[in-house]
Amino acid sequence: MTNRASAGRIAAHVVMIGLSFLAIFPVYWMIQTSFRAENEIFSGGLFPAVPTLKNYTDVLAAMPMLRILGNTVVMAGATTLAQVATGLLAAWALVRWRFPGGALARSLIALSWLVPFQVVMIPNYVLASKLGLLDTVTGLVIPNAAAAFSVLVLYNAMRGFPREVIEAARMDGAGNFRILAEVVLPNLSAPLASVSILCFISAWNDYFWPLLLIRRMENSVVQIGLQFFMTQEGNDWGPLMAAATLASLPILALYLVLQRQVVDSFMKSGIR
Amino acid sequence: MTDATITGDRALPGRLPRLRLSAAEPWLYLAPAIAVVAIWTYVPLLQAFELSFYQWNMLPRSTPRFVGLDNYRNLLSLPDMRQAVVNTVLYTIGLLPLSVGIPLAVALLTGGLSGPLRNLYRALIFVPMIVAPIVAAILWRWLLNEDHGLVNAWLSGIGLGKVGFLSDPDVALWTLVWITGWKLIGFSTLLFTAADSAISPSYVEAARMDGASPWQIVRDIRLPLLSPTILLITMMTILFGAQWSFVYINALTGGGPLRSTTNVYHVMWEYGFKTMAAGWSTAAGMLVFAVFGLIAIGCLAAMRRFAVYDE
Repeated sequence: MTNRASAGRIAAHVVMIGLSFLAIFPVYWMIQTSFRAENEIFSGGLFPAVPTLKNYTDVLAAMPMLRILGNTVVMAGATTLAQVATGLLAAWALVRWRFPGGALARSLIALSWLVPFQVVMIPNYVLASKLGLLDTVTGLVIPNAAAAFSVLVLYNAMRGFPREVIEAARMDGAGNFRILAEVVLPNLSAPLASVSILCFISAWNDYFWPLLLIRRMENSVVQIGLQFFMTQEGNDWGPLMAAATLASLPILALYLVLQRQVVDSFMKSGIR
Repeated sequence: MTDATITGDRALPGRLPRLRLSAAEPWLYLAPAIAVVAIWTYVPLLQAFELSFYQWNMLPRSTPRFVGLDNYRNLLSLPDMRQAVVNTVLYTIGLLPLSVGIPLAVALLTGGLSGPLRNLYRALIFVPMIVAPIVAAILWRWLLNEDHGLVNAWLSGIGLGKVGFLSDPDVALWTLVWITGWKLIGFSTLLFTAADSAISPSYVEAARMDGASPWQIVRDIRLPLLSPTILLITMMTILFGAQWSFVYINALTGGGPLRSTTNVYHVMWEYGFKTMAAGWSTAAGMLVFAVFGLIAIGCLAAMRRFAVYDE
């Protein structure tokens, strides 16, 4: 019996090691290729023989990578702030009051994630160009300033908040906004962190809307910058891997620091 | 009590406007979110529906011309569209083993693992999920490169010929399925593992006392109790799998070779922003939206019917 159990445990470890390898090796291969000299790119081996930073200096010379990273930080940060703010306000309305139209409003917000972006892309593009948002970072943020996901997660979190505490605050004469800001908000740090992390990462990784909106390298975000770079440099693998590594660095660093929280916030939200 | 009567008395003259304000108050809080969703999702959805009956090249000076159902008729008779629909189904079917089958098997097999190594595995297998899709596209393009890629070097090392992962029409679609699935396997495994460890150990213990074999425990206890997660991930894969593949199609193959990797979303994108045929693109969008809407309703009904919950 114990023999069989330990055989099972070994099998489990083998499977997990295989899966971990599959997940991490491609990323490792990208990073190690980025440190290889040009004449060493095509030779095998797990490590670069003479690590070099030349690919990185090449990338920084060929494209305004730092500016692009800056654009992306601004875009993802602003999107996150906006989604958290609109999510908080909307969730508070739905939790605080029962009112005619409330359920309808909630379903309208919730169902919006069922509409594929490709279906509405042409009207969105036309509207963005009318508003002068083409090729701007602002234009990347505005349509994503609210999301079903953040509203629903914060709604579920607030629903568990004890009603008596809200009532007590109201008796003390606090207005509804003050109750939200001073009573409810301080108790929401866990769901707020989880929404922010998820929102920041998905904004950072967003591809389709920037693809439509952005024309020039200096206005682009990393995803589209990389796409431009790939189209230009084609099979210049060293610099391409260096650019891809630079583009992933902030998110990988975030993951290194907040690993547990990142995994948990993705698990709570389901796949999307 | 006294407080209430006092404010009640004083509030009497101003009562009506105050009531109205309080009726409007929730809408003030809802306004930002509703405005964004209305302006960027629902109004565009209606506009797309309208556009699908027009012919328009999206140039600001040209006016859309009403063509009735022509866009739909043309789309349905095009071989382009048929190919895209078939491929969309292939993407979805190809993804299911990667997003549901393998992760479920892994979760069932490794459910008993514990200790620090388990946390390390968790941390590692999740990584592809946060890798940007375009980065995933670039690194797999390098690994799978026909002449210098590592995978082809390994394949020729064990005596197999080179594979044109992105250039062979019979293989390219499955390559893109693999890249899409690579991002999901680990995450999906974590979801199944979490659901599996939430199963009350007393059920498993009781079954074991009754002499149930490990396989019987899997079949009669763990699988039924995992059914909500299985159905949820299956539904997400069916609804969104083809959308997840879009990045890889656009960045790696452009729908080729020989249109073997295009899918409905990529076709819509090509009609819209390559051929500048707004009517065709929106008509295709409406058809896709309608079909996926029906599938979503079906999936939700299936979840209600077949999912087993631990009451």
